[in-house]
Amino acid sequence: MIKGSIFNIEEFAVHDGPGIRKLVFFKGCPLHCSWCHNPEGISFKRELMVSNGSCTHCGKCEAVCENETCVACGKCISVCPLRLRRIVGDVYDVDTLATKLLKGKEVLINSGGGITFSGGEPLAQADFMIALIEKLKPLHIAIETSGHTSEQTFRKVLEKVDLVLMDIKHTDTVIHKQFTGVGNELILNNLKVLCNSEKPFYIRIPLMPGVNDTVENIEKTAQLLVGAKNLLGVDLLPYHKTAPAKYAMVKKEYNPGFDVNQEVAIRTEIFEKYNIKANKL
Amino acid sequence: MTNRIKKMLDDVLQKKHHQYRQQISENEFTDFTEMLKTKGFSDIQRAKERLTWVLTNEKPVILPLETIVFTKTVTIHPEIFTKDEWTDIKKSHYVHELGRVSNINANYEYTIAHGFEFRKKEVLEAKEKYAAEGKTKEIEFLDAVYQSIVDVEKIVARYAQEAKELGRMDIYNTLQRIPAQGATSFHEALQFFRILHFTLWAAGNYHNTVGRFDQYMFKYLDNDLKNGVLTEESAFELLEEFFLSFNKDSDLYVGMQQGDNGQSMVLGGVDKDGNSAFNKLSEMCMKASLELKLIDPKINLRVDKNTPMELYEFGTELTKQGLGFPQYSNDDVVIPGLVSKGYSLEDARTYVVAACWEYIIPHKGMDIDNITAISMTKLVNDCVDKYLTTSTDFEEFMSHVRHEMAIKLIEITSALGNLYTEPSPFQSMLMDNCVENGKDISLGNKYNNYGIHGTGISTSVDSLAAIKKYIFETKEVTPLQLIDGLKTNFEFDESLWLKLKYDAPKMGNDDDFVDDIAVELMDMFADLSKDLRNERGGVFRPGPGSAMYYIWHANEIGASPDGRKKGEPLSANFSPSLNTKVNGPISIIRSFSKPNMQKIVNGGPLTLELHDTIFRNSESISKVASLVKSFMDMGGQQLQINAVNREKLLEAKKHPENHKNLIVRVWGWSGYFVELDEVYQDHIISRIELEV
Repeated sequence: MIKGSIFNIEEFAVHDGPGIRKLVFFKGCPLHCSWCHNPEGISFKRELMVSNGSCTHCGKCEAVCENETCVACGKCISVCPLRLRRIVGDVYDVDTLATKLLKGKEVLINSGGGITFSGGEPLAQADFMIALIEKLKPLHIAIETSGHTSEQTFRKVLEKVDLVLMDIKHTDTVIHKQFTGVGNELILNNLKVLCNSEKPFYIRIPLMPGVNDTVENIEKTAQLLVGAKNLLGVDLLPYHKTAPAKYAMVKKEYNPGFDVNQEVAIRTEIFEKYNIKANKL
Repeated sequence: MTNRIKKMLDDVLQKKHHQYRQQISENEFTDFTEMLKTKGFSDIQRAKERLTWVLTNEKPVILPLETIVFTKTVTIHPEIFTKDEWTDIKKSHYVHELGRVSNINANYEYTIAHGFEFRKKEVLEAKEKYAAEGKTKEIEFLDAVYQSIVDVEKIVARYAQEAKELGRMDIYNTLQRIPAQGATSFHEALQFFRILHFTLWAAGNYHNTVGRFDQYMFKYLDNDLKNGVLTEESAFELLEEFFLSFNKDSDLYVGMQQGDNGQSMVLGGVDKDGNSAFNKLSEMCMKASLELKLIDPKINLRVDKNTPMELYEFGTELTKQGLGFPQYSNDDVVIPGLVSKGYSLEDARTYVVAACWEYIIPHKGMDIDNITAISMTKLVNDCVDKYLTTSTDFEEFMSHVRHEMAIKLIEITSALGNLYTEPSPFQSMLMDNCVENGKDISLGNKYNNYGIHGTGISTSVDSLAAIKKYIFETKEVTPLQLIDGLKTNFEFDESLWLKLKYDAPKMGNDDDFVDDIAVELMDMFADLSKDLRNERGGVFRPGPGSAMYYIWHANEIGASPDGRKKGEPLSANFSPSLNTKVNGPISIIRSFSKPNMQKIVNGGPLTLELHDTIFRNSESISKVASLVKSFMDMGGQQLQINAVNREKLLEAKKHPENHKNLIVRVWGWSGYFVELDEVYQDHIISRIELEV
């Protein structure tokens, strides 16, 4: 039986598609964007996550630990008096997850909402996701994706979902690689597939100051979207400084590679010039 | 908002009118009370004398921009009994709270429509009738009512005189017509209301609710709009001025906490035939509240399955302002629930809420809906002590819970015998049938039911779930281990505490394992209350509200089997336990609509705390509105939503001077955060740790 790895489920997402939505975070992503807000969603493996903020250093976690480096065995979790530790990466089979997501589905349906798959990168677990969608239909399904996957997978998923929210992080493949670890070739190819499909979609641009908020990049991004008849709009998501909080929790360092104090340019007017609706989220 | 209202709002916020408040020495109060005793006045006469004293001492104040006058200058009211006399009374009587009539809803509309001259005639007619029968008690009561009306006329005359001297002939002319005659315009009706409401407070009554204002005031508004006396704009301005008047003196009306003043207004709902009663005035009230952003009047919205989404969206706009209201009550649950408790369908359809959320019947109800409370958490704890070691399964344990609950309910309800409440001749004048029957409202009216708060519902349900799971199913914990753990506040058994606190199933996660226990416990509460009667022949209404008991009852017990340590508060009202990590609002509304809410119809809302960023655009407003509607569709009874931001509250606690206008929902009312006692501030902060 095919399994999926999920690192969070939000019950009341209001900014990720129409209506009230359950938001499912798939664990694991082929990109590792320097600014990622969900560093615990990057690795495909189970991980230990620790909130250190209120730790009293009582030492109980260390006392039960039998390993040199963390293997995410979870032994330290139940001894922490403040429950500051948890394992991220719950492994589900399709039926269990579907049952969980369908609970309270009338709330989703009444609001014109549904379920949104996010991550990480949901397309990195495409077979699991497709099997899951079969169980969730006729609920409205949306995906939030980087678009970094094979065209074949992309098309297969596209057929199954009702709405796509796809990121375009940079139009220049070299800069794309510098900040996300991969070039943008697959992404731009899939964008073409999306633009030519019958599927309604939004484009989302996480705006990083000095990285992709330049006139040149925004102009090029807008040009890629000209004529896309099912494009519902472009959402601009300006960088905000809460991202670093989680890095220490998964023992990673936060090096965004740009000046975080610089103001983000929000160039909705460029999209408007091309008759594309753009909103700051 | 017009410039005049802006200026008046500013003045209210700056408390400029406080300069007119009088300093009356303590001695004058005690002298007055002693005088009442020395003269050998009856309690009815004393109540009448107090109102006379207060109104005589009041000084007319007409603030420069206002057209609806009456501002309190006497800030404290004398007692009608000395301390010793109270002690004596309490020896043989049950006395609820301050021993005064409170928390009911007056029939303002009848007197506003007919005027004092007409009401006086009614009183005299009744007096004649009882005189013919030689009934002295009734005559004494009616004399007191008559004198109260005369006292109000006197202060009105002094206000008119003051207006004349200030050259405010508009006010002078208004006061020449009302309250002597019935109101003929929206403005007169509002001024009339203000006089009546002011007098209720002056008479020592408290939690003086506003009721279905949009219903009883609509005809005046409608007439004025049709006849061109008012335009939509001028009517709205008048309404805003009227709303402001509730905030002038409300700090003097402290309930359990500053802000708990009971000035609840109920909008919408159905008419006597069951059709939607939401009208233009209801809408204007919501708009005024939205613009003014003040804690009074407290807006309550009655909804049902036919309530349009737009109304929920409008309500959510109000929630977004961080006012903690509207509070929603579900007619589809409340009305049949009240009928099952013996209210007539026609009366049930007129229900309003008392100071917080308890359902009361306007004009006719003398229910005391918060007269007593049962601590569900203590009940479960006691059963653990007595029966856990001998119970062979959970079912048997629950049968003991039932038995103990039955005993406890009889114990607390039979402690309420020989109730004594100070007479209230003026309030009686504003209640149906009192004048006609020659009987003071303190002695009862058409409905004389009592309410029982079931407190700490989630804490007790979570406790029972932990017992079911760990003692009887997995048997990971032995009864003695749990009993020891509770006795020692888990000090020597941290792993037990962690298991109970973090690993045990909790209510609010849409988990049938726990929620079924809630259903059973609530059914039990309803069944065992069903046959109880009070000395006035009224029934007892069980409800899932806690009021301030979530702090009080928590202090009466030690640790509980849900992992709650000694001293930690209980869940407030019908909401998840504190510090419980729940899945989210969909799970919460599902869990809290599973019990049969029609049976526990004393009121008690689910409080949902949503982070204020959720409300940032119009799309998310309609999503929150849809969530509210879903809760009602599922059969939920009552809901209040807080738009909160934990950081903001922490900052406000640190620097109260910068956050004077920060409003929060406390247990059934909205108040200024910085004016609350710390224990309530902290409860709110920890409540929202589970915010979404």
